[in-house]
This record gives sequence, C-alpha cells and structure tokens, in this order.
Amino acid sequence: MELGWKKRAVAPMEQNPRQIPIKGPKPSKKKMKRQKKERDTEELKKEMVMDDHKLTLEELSTKYSVNLTTGHSHQRAKEILIRDGPNTLTPPPTTPEWVKFCKQLFGGFSLLLWTGAILCSVTYGIQIYFREEPAKDNLYLSIVLAVVVVITGCFSYYQEAKSSKIMESFKNMVPQQALVIREGEKMQINVQDVVLGDLVEIKGGDRIPADLRLISARGCKVDNSSLTGESEPQSRCTDFTHENPLETRNICFFSTNCVEGTARGVVIATGDSTVMGRIASLTSGLESGQTPIAAEIEHFIRLITVVCLTLTAKRMARKNCLVKNLEAVETLGSTSVICSDKTGTLTQNRMIVAHMWFDETTYEVDTSKEQTGKTFANNSDTWFTLAQIAGLCNRADFKPHQETLPIAKRATTGDASESALLKFIEQSFSSVTEMRKKNPKVAEIPFNSTNKYQMSIHFREDSSQTHVLMMKGAPERILEFCSTFLLHGQEYSMDDELKEAFQNACLELGGLGERVLGFCFLNLPSSFSKGFPFNTDEINFPMDNLCFVGLISMIDPPRTTVPEAVNMCRSAGIKVIMVTGDHPITAKAIAQRVGIISENTETAEEVAARLRIPVSKVNPSDAKAIVVHGSELKDLHSEQLDQILRNHTEIVFARTSPQQKLIIVEGCQRLGAIVAVTGDGVNDSPALKKADIGIAMGISGSDVSKQAADMILLDDNFASIVTGVEEGRLIFDNLKKSIMYTLTSNIPEITPFLLFIVLGIPLPLGTITILCIDLGTDMVPAISLAYESAESDIMKRRPRNPKMDKLVNHRLIAMAYGQIGMIQAVAGFFTYFVIMAENGFRPMDLLGIRLYWEDKFLNDLEDSYGQQWTYEQRKVVEFTCQTAFFVTIVLVQWADLIVSKTRRNSVFQQGMRNKILIFGILEETFLAAFLSYTPGMDVALRMYPLKISWWFCAIPYSILIFVYDEIRKLLIRQRPGGWVERETYY
Amino acid sequence: MTKNEKKSLNQCLAEWKLFIYNPTTGEFLGRTAKSWGLILLFYLVFYGFLAALFSFTMWVMLQTLNDEVPKYRDQIPSPGLMVFPKPVTALEYTFSVSDPTSYAGYIADLKKFLKPYTLEEQKNLTTCPDGALFEQKGPVYVACQFPLLLLQACSGMSDPDFGYSKGKPCILVKMNRIIGLKPEGVPRIDCVLKNEDQTNITTYPHNGMIDLKYFPYYGKKLHVGYLQPLVAVQVTLAPSSAEKEVTVECKIDGSPNLKSQDDRDKFLGRVMFKITAHA
Repeated sequence: MELGWKKRAVAPMEQNPRQIPIKGPKPSKKKMKRQKKERDTEELKKEMVMDDHKLTLEELSTKYSVNLTTGHSHQRAKEILIRDGPNTLTPPPTTPEWVKFCKQLFGGFSLLLWTGAILCSVTYGIQIYFREEPAKDNLYLSIVLAVVVVITGCFSYYQEAKSSKIMESFKNMVPQQALVIREGEKMQINVQDVVLGDLVEIKGGDRIPADLRLISARGCKVDNSSLTGESEPQSRCTDFTHENPLETRNICFFSTNCVEGTARGVVIATGDSTVMGRIASLTSGLESGQTPIAAEIEHFIRLITVVCLTLTAKRMARKNCLVKNLEAVETLGSTSVICSDKTGTLTQNRMIVAHMWFDETTYEVDTSKEQTGKTFANNSDTWFTLAQIAGLCNRADFKPHQETLPIAKRATTGDASESALLKFIEQSFSSVTEMRKKNPKVAEIPFNSTNKYQMSIHFREDSSQTHVLMMKGAPERILEFCSTFLLHGQEYSMDDELKEAFQNACLELGGLGERVLGFCFLNLPSSFSKGFPFNTDEINFPMDNLCFVGLISMIDPPRTTVPEAVNMCRSAGIKVIMVTGDHPITAKAIAQRVGIISENTETAEEVAARLRIPVSKVNPSDAKAIVVHGSELKDLHSEQLDQILRNHTEIVFARTSPQQKLIIVEGCQRLGAIVAVTGDGVNDSPALKKADIGIAMGISGSDVSKQAADMILLDDNFASIVTGVEEGRLIFDNLKKSIMYTLTSNIPEITPFLLFIVLGIPLPLGTITILCIDLGTDMVPAISLAYESAESDIMKRRPRNPKMDKLVNHRLIAMAYGQIGMIQAVAGFFTYFVIMAENGFRPMDLLGIRLYWEDKFLNDLEDSYGQQWTYEQRKVVEFTCQTAFFVTIVLVQWADLIVSKTRRNSVFQQGMRNKILIFGILEETFLAAFLSYTPGMDVALRMYPLKISWWFCAIPYSILIFVYDEIRKLLIRQRPGGWVERETYY
Repeated sequence: MTKNEKKSLNQCLAEWKLFIYNPTTGEFLGRTAKSWGLILLFYLVFYGFLAALFSFTMWVMLQTLNDEVPKYRDQIPSPGLMVFPKPVTALEYTFSVSDPTSYAGYIADLKKFLKPYTLEEQKNLTTCPDGALFEQKGPVYVACQFPLLLLQACSGMSDPDFGYSKGKPCILVKMNRIIGLKPEGVPRIDCVLKNEDQTNITTYPHNGMIDLKYFPYYGKKLHVGYLQPLVAVQVTLAPSSAEKEVTVECKIDGSPNLKSQDDRDKFLGRVMFKITAHA
C-alpha cells in the first residue's frame, strides 16, 4: 500500500495515456472504467498545481490577506464564507428521491405484482375486444393489485426515508469542530465554517479541518493513509521539503488525521477544492460489504427488518448509544467478548477519598452513596489535624457561583486528587474557605515529581499567632521528614512499631488500587513571628522532625451502574476483559470492585500465596483470573496469548499500549469471539476498526476514534454497552419472531392448492385471498412484533454464534411449517368442509369432484341432497369457502401472533403490553371483516359475506395453537437442554 | 463471511458424503438413528393427534347436519336451466343428418336418460292433480308421474332417432332441482332462435309448460323416485344441403319468483345452445 496513491494517480501520467485505450472489438466495461479513472486522475494532476508550500510566510500572509498571529476578523471570515461556501465536500450524487421511490414501487416483489396487474388488465382488454360483455373480475383484480403495490410501496418508501433520516441525524449529533484563531482569539467552530486563510490549530487526535500550510509545528505527525496509503505517520514541520505538494512536509491535508503533537497553519483550500475533495469522486466508489445479517434478511421481508432496526437505533440513541450503521446493532447482540477501557468507561474519571489511616486505625469513607451528607465523622484530635492539613495544604478551589449545588457535583480547579481532598474536607469537616481565611497561606512549595511532596506554611490568626508548616505527599517521602507521630492528639516519638504499622497500611491501601498520600505538620516556634519572610528557594525555616499525622487514600471510583452491568454481561455469557494503561494493582482493584474479577476467583499469584507454593506450581485450572502486564504481553506468542484468553474467564490487561489492544482483539477473534472494543485515543482506531464492534467515547473520545467506531457512547458509560447488547439481542429475537409469524401462514396458503390437485376438491383458497393475507392482514401484526419487549432470559443466555445460530434455522422452519402451520391448515380445511357441507356438498362427495366442478358448461351438478347447481352458483359457494378459509387463517394467526411473542417465556409472564400488537390483531380482524362484508367485494375480489357461525370454526384450532405452544414453552423452561428445547427452540 | 475459502469439488463431495452418512457419529442425514426415531415418533403422534382432532370436529359438524335437507339453501334461491344430452365441449351439438354415427351418442344418452320415464318404471308413482303445487307432509313422500307421452315427437316412442335422422333434432331442457322450491304463476319454458328465421322451433309439452305438481322437491333421500319435469325442444332445420347453424335460447317464463336474467350467471333460468347440422 505504500505510495499507493502516487502509483495510482501519478504513474499513468508518465506513460502516454493515449496508448491505453486499445480499440479492441469489444471494449470491456472494466477498461472503460479504467479510462474514466485515468481521466479523473489527469484532471486531478492538472489542478494539483499548488504553490502554497513554496511561499514564505510573508507571501502567504499577503496571498490570503491574513495576519499570521491574529487571523481573520469575524467580518472578513463571514464574507469569505459567503463567497466560497461551507467547508464541506459536496456529497456524492445521491440517488434522487423519486428514483428511491420508484425503486420501492417497482423493485423485487412489487414487480411481480405489477406484472400480475398488467396481465389482468391485458386479459380484460382482450376480453373487451373479443366478447361483448366480459366479466369485470380481471379489471378489478388489476386495480386492486395496483393499489396494493402503490400502498406498500409508499409505506416502505416512508419507512426507508425515515430510517435514513434518523441515521443522518445521528451523524449530525457528533459534529466536527475546529480550533481557529480570529481577531487574536482562539475559538471552537464547526468545521464547515472554516474559511480560506483561517489560522487553525491542530493537536493529536484531531481531524485536519481543511488543507493547511503549516506556520508552526511541535512534534506534529499526521496519518495520511486515507490519502496516500502510507500507513506510517508522517512528521510535519514548517519547511518546504519537496516540489510535489503531496510530498512536502509543510502541508496537511483535509480529512487526514493528526496523530500526535500540535501545529498551527493557514487554510489554503476548503471543501471541494481541497486535495481530498478533488479525489473524492475516486474514493466514493468504495462500498462496504454486506454484514452477515444483511445477507440473511435479503430473503425475508426487508420492510420488517428496516422497521426493527430503525426502532432499535432510536431506542438506543435515547439510552446514549449512537449507532453509526444499522446492522451494527445486531452484531452487538452477538458480542461474546467486550474489551473495555478502565478510566472513564468503567470508572467515573474523577478522584474521591476512599480510606484514611490515623491513630493506627484504618477508617473507611462512605463512597457508595451520592455523598450529600457527612461522609465521615470522628472525634479524635488527630482527625482535626489531618483535616486541617488536607484542607490547607491544598491548591484546589471551588469555582465561583456554585453554592447551590451539592458539594460532590461542584466544579473545581486543581488536579483530581486535590479536588477530591477539597470536597471531602468541605463535606466531612468544615468550610475550607473559612479555614483558609483563618489560616492564611504565607509560603508554599508546590508538588513536583522529584520532590513528591507539597508544603505550605500558614499563619494562625487565632490567639496563638504562630505559624504552622504542613506537608503532604508520597507516604514514604513524608515519613522521612517525620520524627514523631500523632496518636489521639498526643505526639509520640517515632518507633519501629509505628513504622511497621505505617508500612502495612500503605500496602493495604495500595493493594486496593488507591492513591495514598501521607500528611504531616510542624508547629513553627514563635520566633517566626507574623510577617516573617519565608523563602522557599533558600529554605530559612526548619523542615525536619515533623509530626506524622496519617494517610488518606483516594480512588477513581467505578461508575455505580458498572458492577451490575458487568454482572449482566457475565450472566449473558459475555466475557468482559479490562484493557488499561494503568498499574496492575490499580487495574486489579478496580476489576475486583466492578466484578470483572469476581469475589471468589483468584489469580495464580493469590493461589500460590494461599497454598504457599511457587507460582509456577499452581494448577492453571485453579486460577481463573489473571492480570497480564503489558511487558509480558509483548513477549507472548500468539499461541500463548490464545491460551491465556481461553483458560481464564477473568482477564485484566494492565500497562498496555494501544497497539497491544489490537493484538488482544485479534487473539479473541482467533478464538471465534465477536469482539466489542472501547477506545478513545487516536491509537485505538486500528483496534476499533479490527473489532466487530468498535465503540468510541462521546465525551473523551477523539474525532479519529469516533470515525473508526461503529457505535458511540454519548455518556462514556460501560453500562450503555450492555444496553446495546440487550437491544441487539432483542432485535434478533424480534426478527425471528416476525419471520416465524410470517412463515407460518405459508402452509395454510399452499396446502389448499395441493389438495385441490391431489384430492380433486374445489379450490379452498384462491390467489386473491392469499394476496390478501400476505399483503394485507399479515403485514401490521408482523411489524408489530418488532415492538415486542424483551423476554426475561434475554441477558441470561449465551451470545449467539453467528456461524451456527442463524436467523432462520431448521427448528424455526419445523415449528412454522411442520407444526403451527399444519394446525392452521387443518383449521382452514375444517371451515371449508363445514361451509361446503352446510350448503349441500358433504365432504365425501367432494372428493374427486374437481373435473365436474370446474366444467363451465355443466350447469346441473348434483349435490349430496339431489339439488342441482349451475356453474356460477357453485362458484359462489366456492368463493364463500375461500373467504371463510381466509378469515380462518386470520383467526388462527391471532393465536400464532400471540405465541410468537415469546420464544421461551409463557405469554402470561410476558404480558400483552405491546399496544401495536393489539392494534395489529384488531386491524387484521377489521380488514378481514371489511373484505368479507363490504358490498361490491363479490365483484371486485370475489369475496362473499360469511355467516357469523363460520367465524367460530377456527376457534378450537386457535386455542389448540395457543395451548400447544404454551405446553411446548413450559417444557422448554422446565427441562433446559431437553429434547423439546433441542428440537423446537428456534 | 468465508466466501474466500473456496472448496474444491472433492471436498464438497466428501462433505456431502459425511452428511449423508457419518460413520464416526453414526449420523444419517445429520441425525442418529435414535434422533430420527424420536423425531418421527413425535410427528407421528403430533399428526395423529391433529388428525383425530380434525376428525372429531368434522364428526361434531356432521352431527349437526340434517340428512334430508341441507342446512342452508340461500345459495340457490332460483334454479338454473340445463339441456340434455350434454355435448362434450360447450353446448354445441354437431351432427350430420346422413351419418347416423355422428348422432348415435346423443340418442344413446337420451334413451338412457328417459329410461326412468318409461311407463313400466312409473307404475308405482302417483298420479297427481294437475296445475297445483303437490305439497306433502310426510313421513312418506310420493313422486308424481311424468308421462313420457307429453314429449310427443321427442318421447322416442314414435321416433327412436329423436328426429336427428330427419334434421329435426330433439333436445331436452330441464330446470335444476332445488329442495323446497315452489314456483309461482304458470312456469313455462320459452325457446327462441337467436339468428335464424327460416327454421322452426317446437316445444313439448305444448307451449313448454311445466306443471306445478312436480313441486316442491323434497330431496334425494325423502323423495324417492322423483321425476324431474322435462321440456323437449325440437328444432326443424331447413332441408338444404348447406351446413346449418342455429342458436337457441330457452328461458323460464311465466313465474315471477324464478329468475331468468343475471349478469354473471348465464344459466340462471336460461340456457343457450348451438346446433350445427351437416348435410
């Protein structure tokens, strides 16, 4: 792929393009296409004359009449925007709406119906021509067919349009932003408002908003793979390095990605005039392949599928999952492994105080609740001192005007740990602001990574009028400064006993994955009177023999919904793997708190510690959990990785790089898993693309990751993924149910014709009535199953294996065709025989009557009672039977619809809350009654009014269907894995 | 998904063979013998039960039926009209006066049809009063005599060829039997020629009268030996060597409750037939 673009675009120019079109006898289509491509690239090359990269900064400034430090004025930017139009690519010529409409109207099955309608009207025309008074049936039938096609066409067009509109709106919900400088101010604007000459700042993770000529760059690297095919990130600087604008280093191209570093540049082209814009026509031909479900459903009712998917996508958007393509929803449902980030996804991405250690005791801070009240209370003097240090020796502060908000929700300045301390003290001790007012800070040494401590000196404005030195920092660093320690408000000199207790506390808290800080203080002698000039560069005050007070540990707490979500994943057979850049200890602690490593499983190290044997001797089957360090992962063979993935149910990868994420994803896929991966960084995008479902973070995610992903979590919350999985499974279930419902009625539709031939009885169900079922009464109920809510076991069964569990499997066919469909057919025939018998044709006399029955000139056909019938008279009876057969199918389809609501649960457990489904039942019944009783239907569709008693013929069979299926489902529930489940659970 | 993995023909065959019979698992067509047995047993029981239920519901339904009279008779409120003998295709009689084999079939049919109407067959039947409905209360229902003589020239008694050999073919017209039908007025069958005027048309009994005493009909089971009233139409074709083609239309007339006009049903109370006679 390297230099791929160059080869494609530039190489043909070096040859003589006129040699290529060889005038053969049959210029193949491929060749024509190639010629076109060459022409395009030729044009591209011509327009590629670009000299911005050769210009000096002054020339650039004059060319675009822009100040290179303050940028455009707002007024000027607006003018240019009006002149050049928005900075977007003209979308590739989409199919016009009327073409889409026509496709719905004349595509596939509709075409068949049109043919039927045309044939009918042609027949009618011929009859007019040859006979004086033709039967009008054909005319009416053709009109009805045309109306049905137009109505269903309109409906599916409307559905399609609605779903594409929804998808479009999803895309607009994640707008691209660009950082521009105008009138000397940095401002975020939408990418389409960027204009020629704008000063733009880019940083790692951004998508380049337009073609840029760089004027300054710091460690900037761009990924031009979408343009040139070069997979390695290219470094960018301000120097003109190559004649070819594509090769020179001081140009960044629209829609490529900045991988790392920062840069500032001048916009030299926007929208369609960018390099990408000009070759857009070449790349827009790329079409993604069909997802497995798309291929499968092609055979079934597309309309229902579109409805299902659209509904689900909408529902998921409400639950903070944006789905970028519809089929991703279904893939999500079959997910068997989720590789999740830790920070922000599993955790809240903030710090809170979790534990304290003072007076040689560990205290737990209540972190579980919303933290509105006091989270900690203690009367020890040590606690007062500790709280004072934590509040005073702290640079964080609340942002103004938030007094009304609960403390936990207030925004702060300062880093995460300090904010955590600030909030904790404010909540559990007293107002920090007042504390600070009473003890003003006179000097401080801020925290840095070499010191590993922070020190501040405060003046006590109470009666003592003394100074106090306070210090916090890494525990071991703090301990080094101390010679005494505080116990219940009394100072004792440091001893080994305390040191050991301290060590244990540090280990204990560290083992919980918490960040531990130590606190100490020193009351400065009164010689340091008020106004003493403390100098922190050349220390002029004592900073040793401090008094140790205690430890406070903090943690980034898991999101409250995550443990439940992880638990749901586990019961749903989904393996959750944590992949994080954090320390193994922190990672493991969080994994244990959210349940990724469950309470009673142990790692090999823990087993070893418990049994006091070396790690190498631990039986691998005892250790279900494992924490893999990134450095170990680096040295693993793929077989070893497979082994880890296969043998451990609970896996945490710590200290991993984004590249290793890709390796993990590939490993899981090698084992046949459907992998969902979360990611936010630029470097995550290969893993996101490789995964079956890439999930980007809506808040913390970079533009690049959002592009690579199939789904975006608007709230960055892991629990939303689980919701997505549930929705994905639901859609698959509902599609199955819908197909089950639709397929079933095929049997009572086909068998009448078979028996018409085999038994020689008058035709029990005609073409028009079949069409009435397929296009009329079955339509709304089938769609209504898309609105069915999930069964209780939806998150308790294993993920489906896309290779084995197909949408339509032999069990579904057996149920629909072999069992329910058969009962329906029998019901239909029963009704048929009832009507025939009640009108004078007993069942036995009907057998083999077909030849006489169909003889138009036999107008004295005798029935079982000796009466004689004309052709037309008996045909009316036959059509009445067909109407009744049709009504019977509608009535048994009630039962079918109700049993199709669930696959495992009883309908009594599931309830009848699906309003659309109830509407569907009513609709099909009214439609059937309408078709039967409307005057004129006998002429138009040859459907005749029925006697009320004939409606009840189907009832015993409807009850049978319901009872049979309830028993079947009861057996499935009571004997999991039993014969009934194996043979009938579709 | 795995389209790229192209299978060779041999692999395909081997897979099929394995599907048909897998010696390691003992599976035949993807199922073991036990599995086949169970599934077949299940469907046997299932369909057996379904058949039993069907038979039961049918039995219940048949119990509700009356053996003598069908439950509903609203589908045939008015009788159709039909001719006899019935030509094989359409209602077109084609024969040649000079060739007896061309009409032998018609004569045989007529003779067979008129057999129950012979005197010997009718001797057990009742002589009913003319011109009035012959309503009976049962339990025994008797049938009225229909003397064949009423058909005169078309009775087959004077002319065993029913006029075919003379170019005067006889065709019987009859009204469909409908249980309980009581015609009002004075029903008769009126036959007209559609296109010719040189040919004559004669109906027997005189004027195509249908006597009311043959109504009402009480059904095959009760009304044993019932004889349907007949009307014979004799068309006298002009004696010429040329090929003759006439179309005859017969209608029920004189009874207000017997319809003879319907857009759809061309045989409701009327019948149209064509006679083509070669020389």
